[in-house]
Amino acid sequence: MEQPVQTETWKAASLEELIRILHRLFSEEKVSVEEVQELMESYESNPEEWLQYAKFDQYRYTRNLVDSGNGKFNLMILCWGEGHGSSIHDHTDSHCFMKILQGNLKETLFEWPEKKGNGEMTKKSERVLRENQCAYINDSIGLHRVENISHTESAVSLHLYSPPFDSCNTFDQRTGHKHKVKMTFYSQFGERTPCVSTRYHAPH
Amino acid sequence: LPAGLAQWFPALEVLDVSGTGLAELGAELLALPRLHTLLAKNNRLGAPGSLPKGLGRAPLGRSLRVLNLSGNRFAELPPALLALRGLRSLSLGGNRLHGIPPDIQELRSLEFLYLGGNFITSIPPELANLPSLSYLVLCDNKIQSIPPQLAQLHSLRSLSLHNNLLTYLPREILNLVHLEELSLRGNPLVVRFVRDLTYNPPSLQELAGRTIKTRNVPYAPSDLPENLVRYLSLASNCPNPKCGGVYFDSCVRQIKFVDFCGKYRIPLMHYLCSPECSSPCSSASQSSTSQSESDSEDEASVAARRMQKVLLG
Repeated sequence: MEQPVQTETWKAASLEELIRILHRLFSEEKVSVEEVQELMESYESNPEEWLQYAKFDQYRYTRNLVDSGNGKFNLMILCWGEGHGSSIHDHTDSHCFMKILQGNLKETLFEWPEKKGNGEMTKKSERVLRENQCAYINDSIGLHRVENISHTESAVSLHLYSPPFDSCNTFDQRTGHKHKVKMTFYSQFGERTPCVSTRYHAPH
Repeated sequence: LPAGLAQWFPALEVLDVSGTGLAELGAELLALPRLHTLLAKNNRLGAPGSLPKGLGRAPLGRSLRVLNLSGNRFAELPPALLALRGLRSLSLGGNRLHGIPPDIQELRSLEFLYLGGNFITSIPPELANLPSLSYLVLCDNKIQSIPPQLAQLHSLRSLSLHNNLLTYLPREILNLVHLEELSLRGNPLVVRFVRDLTYNPPSLQELAGRTIKTRNVPYAPSDLPENLVRYLSLASNCPNPKCGGVYFDSCVRQIKFVDFCGKYRIPLMHYLCSPECSSPCSSASQSSTSQSESDSEDEASVAARRMQKVLLG
């Protein structure tokens, strides 16, 4: 007989504490999505704690690995300059949590295209996420595009993916055609890690 | 800003007066000889006189490299800016610009130009005369077409055109082989083969001009009235490699699709000198009346692949 998972309310007072609690949560057999989302949202963004990971690139948004979660999850910080946005993408059967640390990000949800899809993809909804808000998505919910629509402010977001993945599909909004891409890190654990080989970063 | 600024802080290199409600940047800034970065976002700048007079001749005019005026109220690019010959980065995002002055080409050192979030309707070809431009942001405007001259921006690495009114791109865009980022979402790009059916036959003047150019009829400026000499200099070459012809005002517009990275199809506009011509993008079966949408393996597709990592969506 199954016992329901005991969900508790966690509060992370610092980024370090957030990571510690995440490690503890993910060491369990079962992890509750609500628990993780609440925990991520409870952390009040303090730039002093994450500035070392927030490396911006002039041309596009960057992915900066913060913690590799003992293989259970990847925690990373994404830095979005003015006008930077992602492609429409899926999440390779993983859970994706996205918390705003600074600025605002617009999230547009899309339906999965039809199998033989050859038309414009259908927008489901859109919203602007504010500082400290945490959104959640997985493949059964749909696909999304994330963008910093501000022309004056940059944005920083904290992402947790479980299990970790390094490739996903990007989608052409006009046709629904998908294309597999490999994702790379701009920096890892605070150190800049340029890629040597020809990389293809997610279109937008 | 206090009048004695330059005397008290002569070594000042970075000044951030964003979000302070300033309605003008005054002459007190002009004497700062080491100031290379000036951030004045989200203020009330935009009226004539927002920037100090004599900027070009002042120490500030020589030292300034980065200027951020985003989130203000500029309805036109302030002419005083054009004197900043050493400026590398300029942002006027989120203002009220309706156009870009051709004189923008005077900002010879410009590498980074952010003009997103304005009301710009067209791009002057002179923008292409900025030799170091590597990052150009024109998203969230009202732009209907891109001048083919932009393909001369050989240093361009990133071009942001999303959320505009573009229906096609000029085929010359394929020449930007260093382009790594291209955003086109939120444009009403045509998705079907389109052929301009209204072909205005060339005028007698044009036919004469074409003959002179294609037959290499020699002429000297003294042989012809000045306006005709100028007219002859405006001949454009037909892109059809088998044609070798020229055209002046009368041409056939044809949209063909080109594959990017084998995944995305972009509509590119070709100008041909006659309905009998076919563009370099056509397949081996050269019929230009072919309504086929198939993308064939040809020089254009190869060029498109060389544009690495084009990002669309």
